[in-house]
Amino acid sequence: MLKPIAALTLSGALSLFGNLAHADWQDTVADAKGETVYFNAWGGSDNINAYIQWAADKIEAKYDVEVKHVKLTDTANAVNRVIAEKAANKNTLGSIDLMWINGENFRSMKDKGLLYGPFSDSLPNYKAYVDPNARQSLTLDFGTPVDGMEAPWGMAQVIFMYDTATLETPPKSTQELLTYAKKHNGRITYPRPPQFLGSTFLKQALYELTPYRKALSQPVSTIDFDKVTAPLWHYLDQLHPVAWRNGRSFPKNSEEMIRLLDDQEIDVALSFDISAASVQINKGNLPESTRSYVFTNGTIGNTHFLAIPYNSQSSAGAQVVANFLLSPEAQAHKQHPTVWGDLSVLAYDKLNNEDKQRFDDLPKGIATLSISELGKTLPEPHSSWMGALEKEWQKRYAN
Amino acid sequence: MTKTLLSPAYIMIIGLLGAPIIIGLFGILFPAFGYFPALGAQNWTLHYWQQLFSAPGLLSSVLLSVFTGVMVTIMSVWLSISLVAITYQTQWYKRLQSLLSPILSVPHASIAIGLLFLLSPSGWLLRIISPELTGFLRPPNWITVQDPFGLTLTLALIIKETPYLLFVVAAAIYQLKPSQTLETCQSLGYSRLTTWRKILLPQLYPLIRLPILIVLSFSLTVVDMALIIGPNTPTTFAVLLLSWFNDSDLSYRYVASAGAIMLVLLIAGIIFVWELTRFLLQKMARRERINGKRSGIGDLLLLIGALGGAASFVISFLSLVILPIWAIAKRWRFPDALPSQVSFSNIAQAWPVLSSTTIQTLIIAITSTLIALVVSIFILELLRSNAKTFAANKRFFGNFYSQKPLLFLMYLPILLPQIGFLFGIQVLLISFDANGRYSSVIAMHLLYVLPYVYLTLSAPYQSYNQAYLLEANRLNHKPAINFITIKLAMLKASLCTAFAIGFSVSMAQYLPTLIAGEGRITTLTTEAVTLATSGDRKKVGVFALVQIIFPILVFFAAHTIPIHWTSWRLKLKSILRGQFANRT
Repeated sequence: MLKPIAALTLSGALSLFGNLAHADWQDTVADAKGETVYFNAWGGSDNINAYIQWAADKIEAKYDVEVKHVKLTDTANAVNRVIAEKAANKNTLGSIDLMWINGENFRSMKDKGLLYGPFSDSLPNYKAYVDPNARQSLTLDFGTPVDGMEAPWGMAQVIFMYDTATLETPPKSTQELLTYAKKHNGRITYPRPPQFLGSTFLKQALYELTPYRKALSQPVSTIDFDKVTAPLWHYLDQLHPVAWRNGRSFPKNSEEMIRLLDDQEIDVALSFDISAASVQINKGNLPESTRSYVFTNGTIGNTHFLAIPYNSQSSAGAQVVANFLLSPEAQAHKQHPTVWGDLSVLAYDKLNNEDKQRFDDLPKGIATLSISELGKTLPEPHSSWMGALEKEWQKRYAN
Repeated sequence: MTKTLLSPAYIMIIGLLGAPIIIGLFGILFPAFGYFPALGAQNWTLHYWQQLFSAPGLLSSVLLSVFTGVMVTIMSVWLSISLVAITYQTQWYKRLQSLLSPILSVPHASIAIGLLFLLSPSGWLLRIISPELTGFLRPPNWITVQDPFGLTLTLALIIKETPYLLFVVAAAIYQLKPSQTLETCQSLGYSRLTTWRKILLPQLYPLIRLPILIVLSFSLTVVDMALIIGPNTPTTFAVLLLSWFNDSDLSYRYVASAGAIMLVLLIAGIIFVWELTRFLLQKMARRERINGKRSGIGDLLLLIGALGGAASFVISFLSLVILPIWAIAKRWRFPDALPSQVSFSNIAQAWPVLSSTTIQTLIIAITSTLIALVVSIFILELLRSNAKTFAANKRFFGNFYSQKPLLFLMYLPILLPQIGFLFGIQVLLISFDANGRYSSVIAMHLLYVLPYVYLTLSAPYQSYNQAYLLEANRLNHKPAINFITIKLAMLKASLCTAFAIGFSVSMAQYLPTLIAGEGRITTLTTEAVTLATSGDRKKVGVFALVQIIFPILVFFAAHTIPIHWTSWRLKLKSILRGQFANRT
C-alpha cells in the first residue's frame, strides 16, 4: 500500500522538480523583462562590436532585455570596478551585469567571491547543446574549475598568418621560427607579454621546447620552474637578437602584428582569432595573398567565457543574454568568417538538423582554416604558469 | 580688527577643492600599507613597499620616466621661450599664435599616433623617399620609434608641450610690457636677443613657473602617449603602474598604490631639484647678466632654440596631416607615398558611434568649462575683494591664511599623477552611487579643467585696471551690470581664450572620463584610445579628425569673436536702430 504512494510521491516530486527547473527559467525570463544589461566586453575590434550589437538587437526584440555594450580596453578595468564597488559596499546595484572574461581574471574573481552563480549549467541552451566532455577547457578554465560560475561563449586557437607573395613555406614549429629569424633578420616577433597572446606564445614555445611537458599541468609552485623553463629562455636569448627591432621592442597585440605584417615589417603574425586573416583582408588591412596556418604539432587553444558579477543589478537579464549567446543561431552567426569567425562551443552532434544546416552553410573565409586544418589543440597550462612566465620574462627582457 | 577670512564662501570653496584630493590620496595611501577592506585586507604592513622595491625593472622604469620628464621640460621651455624672443614684434609672432590652436587642441594620443605613422620604419617619411632614395622595397629593421631610451616619446611630448608653454608665455608676456623694455634697451645698444635674455626672461620665469611644473609632472606621468610611442622594454614608470593596477593578480593593486605614492614623492623631489637648479643657475648667470655686454654667445642659444621650435611645429603639422589621409585610405602599403585605394567607408562605418559620442563629448566639455569659468571668476573676485584681509592675515597668522592654500588645492590635481589618485576617487563616487552619471563625469573633468581655466584667466584678470569699473560705478551705479558690461566685456579676449583652453582640456581627458563614466558615458577620447589599442590606423584617423575639428573651431571662435565683437555689436545695433528708425 505504501509503495505505490511512495512511488507516486517520488514521481510527483520528480516531475515537479522538472517543471520547477523549467518554471525557474520561465521566471528568469519574466524577471529579465525590461532590464538593462551592461555587458562589459573588450571593444577593440569592430567586427566583435558589430556582433554584440547584432545580438543586442535580437535580444531586445525577443526578450525585451536591453543590452548595452560597455567597450573595455582591458578586462582588468571591469574587474577593478567590481572590486571598487565591493570596497564601497555596493553589493546589490553593481554597474556590471555581464562580462567577457579570461582564465586569469576568472580565477581571481572566483577566488575573491566576486561572481554570481553557479548559473551556467542550468541555462537551457547549455543543457541542450553543450557537451562538457568535448573539450577539457569547457570545464577547466586555465586550470581553474568552472563550476557553473561562467558560461562558455566561444573557442579560440592560436593561428599564424603570412603573406604568400613574400613567404613560400612558413616556419611550422617554434624551432623553425628561430631558424627562419636567423636567416631573415628582424622579420619575426611576438606580442609583448603580459599581453595574453604574447604570454600564450611563451606557453606555446615552452610546450614545444621543454622535455618536462607533464609539469605544465601542475601548479608552478609544485615543480622546479627553472629546470622546466630553461630551454625557453635559452631559445628566447637566441631569438631576440635576430627578432624585429632586435628584441628591444615588441608589438602590443595581434592587431599591431597584423599592421606590421601588412607593412611588411614582419613576415609572420599571430592571432587568437582563427578568421583574423580573412576579416582583415576584407577590410583592406592585409593583402589578398595572406593565408593562415598552424604549427605541425598543434597550437594552444582555449575557451572564453561570460561571467556575472556578484552584485549585478540584472542577473536575470544577464542569464537571458548568456543563454541567447549560446543558442545555435547566435553561435553560428558568430562563427561566420566575416562576422567574427569565433569557433562555436556547441556540440555539433547535439544540434537538430536545421541547426546543423546553419553551421554547414557557413562560408569559409579565403584565408580561414577549417576545423580539421586547425589540427591538434594543445591545452593551456595551469593558470599559475601565466603569471610566473610573465614575471620571469619581465625580469629577463624588460629590465 | 581685520575681517576674518573664514567666510562661508571661502570655506566652501576650500572644502570642495580639498575633498576629492584628500579622498583620492587616502584611496591610494591605505592600500599601499595593506589596508583595503574590499579585498579583506585589514592588516597594516610594509610588505608591498618591499615588493615594490624588489620589482624587476623598477629602477630602469623610474630612470626612464625621470629622463623623459626632465628632458621634455628643459627642451620645451627652451624652444617656446626662444620662439617668443625671436618672433616677438614680427609678423611671425601672430602667425605662430594662429598655429598654436590646432596643436594645443589635439589630444595627446592623436599626436603620438601621427608621429608613429610618420617616423616608424614603415612610416610616411620613409614611404615618401622609398624606394627611390633608399632602395627599400620593405621597411628596414630600424628602431626609430619606441626606442629603449624613450627619445621618440620625448619628441612626442616636446611637440605637444612646446605649444602649450608658448601659449602660456604669450599670455604672460603682456604684463612685462616687452615692447617698452626692448625699445629702451635697444636704444642703449643692447641686441634684441640679449635684452630678452638678460632683462625679460628672468622676469618672465616667475610668471610661468607653475605651467612649467605642470609640464614636468605631466611628462613624468603621462600614460596614453607612453603606451603608444614609448619604449616597452622597460616601460615608463606610469605605464608600469597602470599595468599593476590592471593586473589580474589583485595583490598587485597594493604594490601599484605604493608605487603611486612613490611617484607623487618622486615628482615632489624633482620639482624641488628643478627649482634649486634654476635658482643656482640664475645666481651663476648674474655676473654675465650685469657685465654690460650688449650681445653674447648666449643669443645663439635662443636662435637654435627657435629653429628647434620651428622644427617641432613642422613635425607636428606632418603628424596631423597624416591622420586624415589614413582616415580615407582603403589600401596603403609600403612603399607607396599615398594610399593606392581611397574610400569614405571608414567614416561611414564610424558614423553611428561618432555622432552620439560627439554629442556626449560636447555636453561634458561645454558644461564643465562654463562651470570652471564661473568658479574662476568667483574665486578671483573673492581674492580681489579680500586682498587687504589676505595681506593682513598673512602678517598675523602666516601663509596658511593667505590665498595660497586655495591655489595649492586647485593646482594639486594636475600636479598629482592621475593614475592612482583617480582610483581613490572612484571608490568615493561609487559609495555615493554617483558613478556613470553626467554630473560625476563633469565634476571629474572640472578637477582638471578648473586649474587650466584659472591659470589662463588669473594673470589678465588680476592685472585688470579696476579703476575702469570704479569709474563706471561712479558715473552710473549699477555694480552688477557694470561688472558684466564693463569688466567682463573688457576681459572678453581672456575669457574666450580660457574657455577654449578649458574646452580642449576636457576634450582630451581619458582616465577621468573612464573612471567617472564607467564606460557608460563615452567621449571621443575614450573611444579613440580604445580604438588606438586595436592598431587600426584608418579608424584612429577618422576619430582623430573629428577630435581635432571641434577644439579648432572653438579656438578659432575664441580668437575671432573678441576682435570683431564690438564692430559686430555696433553693426547689429545700427541695423536694429535703422529698422526702428524706418518703422517710425
